Amino acid sequence: MEAIQENKEPTTTPPAERLAYSVQEAADMLGINYFTMYRLIQRQKLKTCRVLRGKLLVPRTELLQLLQTDLR
Amino acid sequence: MNYYERPTPLQEQANAEAIQHFAEHLKQFKANCDALHNIECNLPATANDAFRAALQSSGHIIQTDDGTQWQHAVDLTKITSVCHRRTAAGLEFAAVECLPLKSREMKDALNSGHDAREVLQTFARDQRQVFNLWKDDMTAQVREHLEEKYPHQDMSIVVESFEIKLARDISRREILAQNQSHGVRI
Repeated sequence: MEAIQENKEPTTTPPAERLAYSVQEAADMLGINYFTMYRLIQRQKLKTCRVLRGKLLVPRTELLQLLQTDLR
Repeated sequence: MNYYERPTPLQEQANAEAIQHFAEHLKQFKANCDALHNIECNLPATANDAFRAALQSSGHIIQTDDGTQWQHAVDLTKITSVCHRRTAAGLEFAAVECLPLKSREMKDALNSGHDAREVLQTFARDQRQVFNLWKDDMTAQVREHLEEKYPHQDMSIVVESFEIKLARDISRREILAQNQSHGVRI
Protein backbone atom coordinates (compact mmCIF):
# COMPACT_ATOMS: atom_id res chain seq x y z
CA MET A 1 0.00 0.00 0.00
CA GLU A 2 1.33 3.41 -0.93
CA ALA A 3 2.08 5.80 1.87
CA ILE A 4 0.08 9.03 1.90
CA GLN A 5 2.31 11.93 1.01
CA GLU A 6 2.44 14.67 3.55
CA ASN A 7 3.76 18.18 3.08
CA LYS A 8 6.58 17.84 5.53
CA GLU A 9 9.80 19.81 5.51
CA PRO A 10 12.71 17.52 4.73
CA THR A 11 14.53 16.60 7.92
CA THR A 12 17.89 15.92 6.29
CA THR A 13 20.12 18.14 4.18
CA PRO A 14 19.15 17.87 0.52
CA PRO A 15 21.80 15.86 -1.37
CA ALA A 16 22.48 18.77 -3.73
CA GLU A 17 23.87 20.82 -0.85
CA ARG A 18 26.41 18.28 0.31
CA LEU A 19 30.06 19.03 -0.28
CA ALA A 20 31.04 15.56 -1.47
CA TYR A 21 29.56 12.22 -2.47
CA SER A 22 30.58 8.59 -2.41
CA VAL A 23 31.50 7.01 -5.73
CA GLN A 24 28.14 5.22 -5.87
CA GLU A 25 26.19 8.44 -5.19
CA ALA A 26 28.22 10.38 -7.74
CA ALA A 27 27.65 7.65 -10.34
CA ASP A 28 23.91 7.77 -9.69
CA MET A 29 23.91 11.55 -10.09
CA LEU A 30 25.78 11.38 -13.39
CA GLY A 31 23.69 8.44 -14.55
CA ILE A 32 26.69 6.23 -15.22
CA ASN A 33 27.94 2.87 -13.95
CA TYR A 34 30.11 3.20 -10.86
CA PHE A 35 32.90 1.21 -12.52
CA THR A 36 33.01 4.04 -15.05
CA MET A 37 33.38 6.45 -12.12
CA TYR A 38 36.52 4.65 -11.00
CA ARG A 39 37.79 4.85 -14.57
CA LEU A 40 37.20 8.60 -14.65
CA ILE A 41 39.03 8.89 -11.32
CA GLN A 42 41.94 6.77 -12.53
CA ARG A 43 42.21 8.94 -15.66
CA GLN A 44 42.12 12.04 -13.43
CA LYS A 45 38.98 13.35 -15.13
CA LEU A 46 37.59 13.54 -11.62
CA LYS A 47 39.60 14.47 -8.55
CA THR A 48 38.68 12.76 -5.31
CA CYS A 49 39.65 12.92 -1.68
CA ARG A 50 40.05 10.10 0.78
CA VAL A 51 38.32 10.39 4.10
CA LEU A 52 38.97 8.45 7.28
CA ARG A 53 39.38 4.71 6.58
CA GLY A 54 40.35 5.44 2.98
CA LYS A 55 36.90 5.81 1.43
CA LEU A 56 36.85 7.89 -1.74
CA LEU A 57 34.69 10.99 -1.92
CA VAL A 58 33.99 13.03 -5.03
CA PRO A 59 33.68 16.76 -4.28
CA ARG A 60 30.53 18.41 -5.63
CA THR A 61 32.67 21.01 -7.40
CA GLU A 62 34.32 18.23 -9.42
CA LEU A 63 30.95 16.85 -10.52
CA LEU A 64 29.75 20.32 -11.51
CA GLN A 65 32.95 20.92 -13.41
CA LEU A 66 32.56 17.66 -15.32
CA LEU A 67 28.95 18.50 -16.13
CA GLN A 68 29.92 22.00 -17.29
CA THR A 69 32.56 20.50 -19.56
CA ASP A 70 29.91 18.06 -20.71
CA LEU A 71 27.54 20.89 -21.60
CA ARG A 72 30.05 22.79 -23.72
CA MET B 1 45.79 -9.49 15.54
CA ASN B 2 46.59 -13.07 14.70
CA TYR B 3 44.91 -13.77 11.35
CA TYR B 4 45.47 -17.47 11.70
CA GLU B 5 42.95 -17.49 14.54
CA ARG B 6 39.50 -18.82 13.80
CA PRO B 7 36.98 -16.01 13.49
CA THR B 8 34.56 -15.63 16.35
CA PRO B 9 30.85 -16.39 15.76
CA LEU B 10 30.19 -12.63 15.68
CA GLN B 11 32.90 -12.12 13.06
CA GLU B 12 31.43 -15.00 11.04
CA GLN B 13 28.02 -13.35 11.26
CA ALA B 14 29.44 -9.96 10.30
CA ASN B 15 31.22 -11.52 7.34
CA ALA B 16 28.04 -13.18 6.07
CA GLU B 17 26.09 -9.98 6.55
CA ALA B 18 28.73 -7.88 4.77
CA ILE B 19 28.82 -10.32 1.84
CA GLN B 20 25.07 -9.95 1.54
CA HIS B 21 25.18 -6.16 1.90
CA PHE B 22 27.88 -5.76 -0.76
CA ALA B 23 26.60 -8.59 -2.97
CA GLU B 24 25.87 -6.31 -5.93
CA HIS B 25 29.31 -4.67 -5.70
CA LEU B 26 31.03 -8.06 -5.47
CA LYS B 27 29.02 -9.31 -8.45
CA GLN B 28 29.94 -6.25 -10.51
CA PHE B 29 33.57 -6.54 -9.47
CA LYS B 30 33.73 -10.16 -10.55
CA ALA B 31 31.90 -9.47 -13.84
CA ASN B 32 34.30 -6.66 -14.70
CA CYS B 33 37.31 -8.77 -13.68
CA ASP B 34 36.04 -11.54 -15.95
CA ALA B 35 35.63 -9.08 -18.82
CA LEU B 36 39.22 -7.91 -18.40
CA HIS B 37 40.35 -11.50 -18.12
CA ASN B 38 38.70 -12.27 -21.47
CA ILE B 39 40.35 -9.26 -23.09
CA GLU B 40 43.73 -10.39 -21.79
CA CYS B 41 43.20 -13.99 -22.90
CA ASN B 42 42.17 -12.90 -26.40
CA LEU B 43 44.79 -10.20 -26.64
CA PRO B 44 46.88 -11.66 -29.51
CA ALA B 45 43.77 -12.46 -31.58
CA THR B 46 42.23 -9.04 -30.92
CA ALA B 47 45.49 -7.33 -31.88
CA ASN B 48 45.51 -9.39 -35.07
CA ASP B 49 41.92 -8.41 -35.88
CA ALA B 50 42.72 -4.75 -35.28
CA PHE B 51 45.77 -4.98 -37.52
CA ARG B 52 43.73 -6.66 -40.26
CA ALA B 53 41.00 -4.01 -40.03
CA ALA B 54 43.65 -1.32 -40.29
CA LEU B 55 45.16 -2.88 -43.41
CA GLN B 56 41.71 -3.02 -44.99
CA SER B 57 41.04 0.51 -43.74
CA SER B 58 37.59 -0.67 -42.65
CA GLY B 59 35.35 0.55 -39.81
CA HIS B 60 33.17 3.55 -39.12
CA ILE B 61 34.69 6.91 -38.20
CA ILE B 62 34.91 7.96 -34.55
CA GLN B 63 36.04 11.48 -33.79
CA THR B 64 37.54 11.91 -30.32
CA ASP B 65 37.07 15.12 -28.33
CA ASP B 66 40.51 16.41 -29.36
CA GLY B 67 39.36 16.33 -33.00
CA THR B 68 41.33 13.25 -34.06
CA GLN B 69 39.51 10.91 -36.43
CA TRP B 70 39.81 7.17 -35.87
CA GLN B 71 38.30 4.17 -37.58
CA HIS B 72 36.64 1.54 -35.46
CA ALA B 73 38.32 -1.88 -35.58
CA VAL B 74 37.27 -4.15 -32.67
CA ASP B 75 35.00 -3.74 -29.66
CA LEU B 76 36.67 -4.33 -26.28
CA THR B 77 33.79 -3.49 -23.94
CA LYS B 78 30.38 -1.88 -24.37
CA ILE B 79 31.98 1.56 -24.44
CA THR B 80 35.58 0.87 -25.46
CA SER B 81 37.00 -0.21 -28.79
CA VAL B 82 40.31 -0.54 -30.57
CA CYS B 83 40.53 2.00 -33.39
CA HIS B 84 43.09 2.76 -36.05
CA ARG B 85 44.20 5.59 -38.32
CA ARG B 86 46.90 6.23 -40.85
CA THR B 87 49.57 8.78 -40.00
CA ALA B 88 52.78 9.90 -41.71
CA ALA B 89 54.62 7.56 -39.33
CA GLY B 90 52.46 4.58 -40.30
CA LEU B 91 49.46 2.87 -38.75
CA GLU B 92 48.40 4.05 -35.32
CA PHE B 93 46.10 2.21 -32.93
CA ALA B 94 44.18 3.47 -29.91
CA ALA B 95 41.83 2.23 -27.22
CA VAL B 96 38.95 4.67 -27.64
CA GLU B 97 36.24 5.10 -25.02
CA CYS B 98 32.82 6.56 -25.89
CA LEU B 99 31.28 7.44 -22.54
CA PRO B 100 27.64 8.53 -22.67
CA LEU B 101 27.11 11.48 -20.35
CA LYS B 102 23.95 13.55 -19.89
CA SER B 103 24.21 15.74 -22.95
CA ARG B 104 26.72 14.07 -25.23
CA GLU B 105 29.25 11.27 -25.55
CA MET B 106 32.69 11.92 -24.11
CA LYS B 107 35.09 10.37 -26.64
CA ASP B 108 38.67 9.87 -25.60
CA ALA B 109 41.66 7.94 -26.86
CA LEU B 110 42.79 6.29 -23.63
CA ASN B 111 46.15 5.28 -25.03
CA SER B 112 47.63 4.92 -28.49
CA GLY B 113 50.66 3.56 -30.32
CA HIS B 114 51.90 1.90 -33.47
CA ASP B 115 51.69 -1.64 -32.07
CA ALA B 116 48.12 -2.87 -31.53
CA ARG B 117 49.29 -5.47 -29.06
CA GLU B 118 51.07 -2.89 -26.90
CA VAL B 119 48.02 -0.63 -27.00
CA LEU B 120 45.90 -3.52 -25.71
CA GLN B 121 48.45 -4.41 -23.03
CA THR B 122 48.53 -0.81 -21.81
CA PHE B 123 44.74 -0.73 -21.80
CA ALA B 124 44.61 -3.93 -19.72
CA ARG B 125 47.24 -2.58 -17.30
CA ASP B 126 45.28 0.65 -16.83
CA GLN B 127 42.11 -1.33 -16.25
CA ARG B 128 43.86 -3.29 -13.51
CA GLN B 129 44.77 0.00 -11.83
CA VAL B 130 41.08 0.85 -11.90
CA PHE B 131 40.32 -2.47 -10.20
CA ASN B 132 42.87 -1.69 -7.48
CA LEU B 133 41.25 1.70 -6.94
CA TRP B 134 37.86 0.00 -6.75
CA LYS B 135 39.19 -2.69 -4.38
CA ASP B 136 40.65 -0.11 -1.98
CA ASP B 137 37.45 1.91 -1.99
CA MET B 138 35.26 -1.15 -1.49
CA THR B 139 37.46 -2.32 1.39
CA ALA B 140 37.08 1.11 2.99
CA GLN B 141 33.31 0.93 2.55
CA VAL B 142 33.22 -2.54 4.14
CA ARG B 143 35.29 -1.23 7.06
CA GLU B 144 32.98 1.75 7.50
CA HIS B 145 29.88 -0.43 7.28
CA LEU B 146 31.16 -2.89 9.89
CA GLU B 147 32.27 -0.13 12.27
CA GLU B 148 28.78 1.35 12.14
CA LYS B 149 27.02 -1.99 12.43
CA TYR B 150 29.31 -3.54 15.05
CA PRO B 151 30.70 -0.64 17.09
CA HIS B 152 33.57 -1.38 19.48
CA GLN B 153 34.07 -4.84 17.94
CA ASP B 154 37.28 -5.90 16.23
CA MET B 155 36.21 -6.70 12.68
CA SER B 156 39.63 -6.28 11.09
CA ILE B 157 39.76 -9.99 10.23
CA VAL B 158 36.56 -9.61 8.19
CA VAL B 159 37.82 -6.51 6.39
CA GLU B 160 41.12 -8.24 5.72
CA SER B 161 39.39 -11.27 4.23
CA PHE B 162 37.40 -9.01 1.87
CA GLU B 163 40.55 -7.24 0.77
CA ILE B 164 42.44 -10.48 0.22
CA LYS B 165 39.58 -11.95 -1.81
CA LEU B 166 39.39 -8.91 -4.09
CA ALA B 167 43.17 -8.71 -4.47
CA ARG B 168 43.28 -12.41 -5.27
CA ASP B 169 40.61 -11.93 -7.95
CA ILE B 170 42.74 -9.28 -9.64
CA SER B 171 46.10 -11.01 -9.32
CA ARG B 172 44.87 -14.47 -10.33
CA ARG B 173 43.56 -13.05 -13.56
CA GLU B 174 46.81 -11.16 -14.07
CA ILE B 175 48.88 -14.34 -13.68
CA LEU B 176 46.59 -16.27 -16.03
CA ALA B 177 46.78 -13.49 -18.59
CA GLN B 178 50.57 -13.33 -18.39
CA ASN B 179 50.78 -17.05 -18.98
CA GLN B 180 48.46 -16.91 -21.95
CA SER B 181 49.77 -13.75 -23.61
CA HIS B 182 53.05 -15.35 -24.72
CA GLY B 183 51.36 -16.33 -27.95
CA VAL B 184 51.41 -15.03 -31.49
CA ARG B 185 53.14 -11.74 -32.16
CA ILE B 186 52.14 -9.63 -35.11
